[in-house]
Formats: sequence, C-alpha cells, structure tokens
Amino acid sequence: MSQATAPYLGTVPPEFRRPSLWTISWRAITRKPSRVIGIVIILFFTLMAIFGPMLYPKQLPINPAELYAPPSWAHPLGTDFEGTSVLAEIITGSRYVLSAAALAAVFTIGFGTLAGVVSGYFLGSTDQIIMRVTDFILTIPGFPLLIVLSTIWSFGSPIAMGLVLGLTGWGGLARAVRSQTLSLRERGFIEAARGLGLSNSHIITREILPNISPYIAMNLLLSVTGGIYAEVGLFFLGVIPFQSNNWGVMLNLAFSNGAMYTPQSLLYMVSPMACILLVTFGIVLTLDAFDEILNPRLREG
Amino acid sequence: MNKLVPRLIRRILGGIVMILAVASFTFFLIHMIPGNPVDAKLAQLEIAGVQPQQAMTEVHAMYGFMPHQPLYVQYVQYIWELLHLNLGKSITYAGVSVTHLLLEAMPWTVITVTSGIIVSFVFGILAGVIIAVYRDRGISNGLTLFSTFLHGIPQLILALLLAYLFTTIWAIFPYGSPYDAAIAPGFTLPFIGSLAWHAVLPVAAYAISSYGGWALTMKSSVISVLGDDFILASELRGLKPRIRIGYIARSAILPLFTTLTLSIGFMFGGSVFIEEIFDYRGLGYMLITATGNLDYPLMAGSFLIITVAVIVANIVADFLYTAIDPRIRV
Repeated sequence: MSQATAPYLGTVPPEFRRPSLWTISWRAITRKPSRVIGIVIILFFTLMAIFGPMLYPKQLPINPAELYAPPSWAHPLGTDFEGTSVLAEIITGSRYVLSAAALAAVFTIGFGTLAGVVSGYFLGSTDQIIMRVTDFILTIPGFPLLIVLSTIWSFGSPIAMGLVLGLTGWGGLARAVRSQTLSLRERGFIEAARGLGLSNSHIITREILPNISPYIAMNLLLSVTGGIYAEVGLFFLGVIPFQSNNWGVMLNLAFSNGAMYTPQSLLYMVSPMACILLVTFGIVLTLDAFDEILNPRLREG
Repeated sequence: MNKLVPRLIRRILGGIVMILAVASFTFFLIHMIPGNPVDAKLAQLEIAGVQPQQAMTEVHAMYGFMPHQPLYVQYVQYIWELLHLNLGKSITYAGVSVTHLLLEAMPWTVITVTSGIIVSFVFGILAGVIIAVYRDRGISNGLTLFSTFLHGIPQLILALLLAYLFTTIWAIFPYGSPYDAAIAPGFTLPFIGSLAWHAVLPVAAYAISSYGGWALTMKSSVISVLGDDFILASELRGLKPRIRIGYIARSAILPLFTTLTLSIGFMFGGSVFIEEIFDYRGLGYMLITATGNLDYPLMAGSFLIITVAVIVANIVADFLYTAIDPRIRV
C-alpha cells in the first residue's frame, strides 16, 4: 500500500456503471427476434416516408397502354387503373400517412397527458371540469365527429390532420394517466417532495412524469396505429379533398374506379392494406421491447 | 335497490344535457361552415325567382331556423324544432324531412349491427372460455393468437378485403346492393332470403371485427373467476367438468353484458365503412353521402342520431350493470 493512490474522483468502475439508454435499448431489442423484426419494419417505413418520395416525380406518369398490368421489373407491384406503377404510389403516398399519424400520436399524447396529470394531481374542481370534458369527448363517436368536422376544417396538411386527430382522441389516455397520477400522488416520495416544499411544476415534471413515461411512450406508438386508421378512413370515404396521393386516397380511387370489380387489380387493392397492416404489426412487435427499455423494474441487473 | 332510481334519473339528466350539447354543436357547426350555406341557399332561391318571404320559409323548413335573425333567436328556434323531433328537410332528397330519411335508414344499421354483434358475442364467449379453461394446451395458444390477430385488423380493411375477396376474386356472394333488384321488395320468402344472402358479408365484417375483443375480454374474465372459492367448492363436491364450466361461464359473462350494450352503441358510429363498402343505406351511409353532397341538415341529423344511440347505450349499460349483478346493488 506504499504507492500513492490517485484521489477518488467519483469514476465508477465500468462493471458498476449504469448502462446508457442506447445499451439498454440494444439489449432489450436484440433479446427477442420478434422485436428486431418490429424495429426493422418501422425503420423501413420511416426511411420510405423520408426518402422515398424523392425518387419519383411529383406527378406520377400514367400509361393508358398498361392498365392493371401484372408485376414486372418496371412495376414490381403492377399498375393501377390509369397504368401508374403501384409501387411508386405506395412509396410516394407513405410520407403523408406516416407523418400525419406520427403528429396525431404526439398531439394525442400531449393533450391526454396534460389533462390527465393536471386532473389527477390538483383534484378538486379542476378535476371535475376536466373529467366532464373527457367524458364528453369519450362519448361522442370519434369517427363520425371527424367526418362532420371535415366540413369546417381543412385536413390538407399533415399538421392540421394530426392536430384534429389529437383533439378528438385524447380522452381515453387522459383517464388512464389520471388514475396513474392518483395512485402516484399518495406514494411516499411524492409526499416527501411536497413536504420539502418543492413546487407543483417540479413535482409534476420531475417526479410524476418520469414514472408514467413508460406508459406514455407505449401509448405514443399505439396512437400511431389509431392515427393511420382514422386518416386512411377519412380519405377512403372521400370526405376530404386531397392534394397529394396517399394510401387512403389509393383505396378511395380503387374503390370508386371499379377496381373492386376486377380480379386483375388484386395487387393494387391489397398493397395499401398490406402496408397499413405491416406498420401495425411492426409497432405491436416493438411495443414489447419499449416496455422493457423504459420500465426500470423490468430491466435485469 | 333504493339508490337505483335517483341514480338512473341523474344519468338520464346527464344524457339529456349531453344530447343538447351535441345539438348545439351541430347548430354552431352549420354557422361555421365556410361560405355560409344558409345565405347561399337563400340567394340561390331568390335568383330562381322565389319571393324573398317564401325563400325564407323554405330555408326555415330545411335548417329549422329563420336566417337573418339574432343568433340566439335562431338557436332557440333550432332547439325548439329538435324537441319536436323536427330535424329539418334534406337538400339532396329534395324536400323530404330528415326525420323520415333517418327512420328509413335506421333498420339497415340496427339489424346488421345487432346481428353482427350477437354472432361475434356467441363465438367470442365460447373462444374465451376455451382459451381460459384449457390454458395449458396448444388449442389455447392457437386461439389466443387467432383472436389477437383478428382484433388487430381495422374494420375498413376487413370490410374491403371481405368484399373484394368473396365477390370478385371468388364470386361466392353478390355485391353492390342489399338485395336482388329483380325481386320485388315485400314481406315474401324470396325477398327475405335475398336480403339475408346479401347480408352475409356485412354481418361477417361486423362480427369478425368485434370477435377478438370478446374472446380476449371473456378470457380474462373467466381467469379471474377461476380463482373464486365457489369454483373450488364445486370441484370438491365432485361436480362434472361440464357443469363446472357452466358455473364459471355464468358468472364470468356478467361484466360482458354491459360491454355488449356499449358496443352496440359504438357500432352505430363504426357503421360508416361497412355501409359505404356494401352500399347499405343506413345511418353511416346517410352521414357520408350528406357530408359529400353538402346536405347539412341531413348531416347534422344523422350525426345527432348516431350520438344519441351512443348516449342511450351508455345509460342502458350503466343501468344493466347495477340491475344484473346483485353484488353492486348493496
């Protein structure tokens, strides 16, 4: 023990260091092959939405000589009723659908968490009012409401679409977040924080939110699927005027242009539906990993 | 039991307030629509040579309020007409009253939705019991996977796929209208047969889309009952497994009845896709075509009816919940 020991500066030996979020995520994802598949699907569609539309001209070419052509090298998924390549339509249409759905999820989570936490934390008349509004939102059938709103709200841009989906869809989450907040606020560490005289905003953002974040993150992913269904449904029904192509518009055009009546349109009909189901599938598979990444109690040693 | 009546009254009052709120919403919605459809209609009538006074009366019949009056007067008029079940007159179905159109549309939705839900309820309950009781066998895993998969398919895609696969790819079922146009409508055997044959796919679409939910809810309900003492007691008494499953199912099914009522209400809102795809002239179809054709009175009316269905279903479910389960009544 003669040699001079370096002053201990708080560096923790590597084996005791808390793993970074990346390490935790990587471990959680690679633990099960299904999660890897889920992540790959989501990444694939995200890249498609970001870079895919750059590969094609703004106006996709039509070709009257090749209506409902079978799959070929030029058109791997065949062509539609105008001779446009289905693959090109799927790729260019992914950007609007996925960005609007992602925004819808962000808005839903934002409104729902805010309403739920405020209502569950402050209780009293605030809670009463917020819960009345929540009941109201939950009772009114959401999809018919969206149809009716389409008369006064232009859903053209992804942000407008995401905002309206968020505004109509936060009810369920608000209730769930409220009940979680209710049980948290009776726990010892929150009582301690209040006893220390910490501000309400500190307790909400530093003590309560981190504890419900796993739940919120999972709902963020789940809301993406809800957003996709709602917007594709609206475009399918044709109640929104559309400027650009997307999967819902594809289904609408297929339905209204008689693709339902010919077996040759199989790939054209099925492709957008398959994409929607694939995205859902990817999200469901990934959710499983999310739970483990964000919930400290599920993490192993 | 004595608390039941005041509670019911409170719920009904709450429901009425909600219906009024939705009616106010549709009223203000019409006033917020860009281009003011009421004034546009008035101008259109006057250009067509109708006397201003008469044009006003016609618009009043359509929307339920007199234009060019203070907003609160219009509002009171609108609500007053609603209380007399007068929802105005349709624009696309020239001059037919909205109430009449909706009453005609109602059976299409009610019959298909309820038969779809009943079919899915029966199969879902059976599947849920099988999954929960045979938890450690292969059949349980298979059924769970199957039910989860069906639960995950959105109704729009399901209905489109059913319509496309079974009418075009394999032409098994007829497509495009709710009955054979060659058969004269009436209470005759061939007509009813044709109705039923055409209804197979839409009803299947409702049934498949709600089956998974029933199976999974029933599964967890049965599992929670399995731990109860009276099940253990019946096992110790040496009752046959068949009778025991009957005991289990009977108490596990209770909470599902409330969900059943709720889902009938919500299916009214979900009827939009299936009615559009299978061309059923029900409430959802009315809502869609009215919105597409800018027929605002009909749109407001069908939205109101769909919402009322949900609100009523909520109240019935709440009432049923207390009436059906003796443990809550105490």
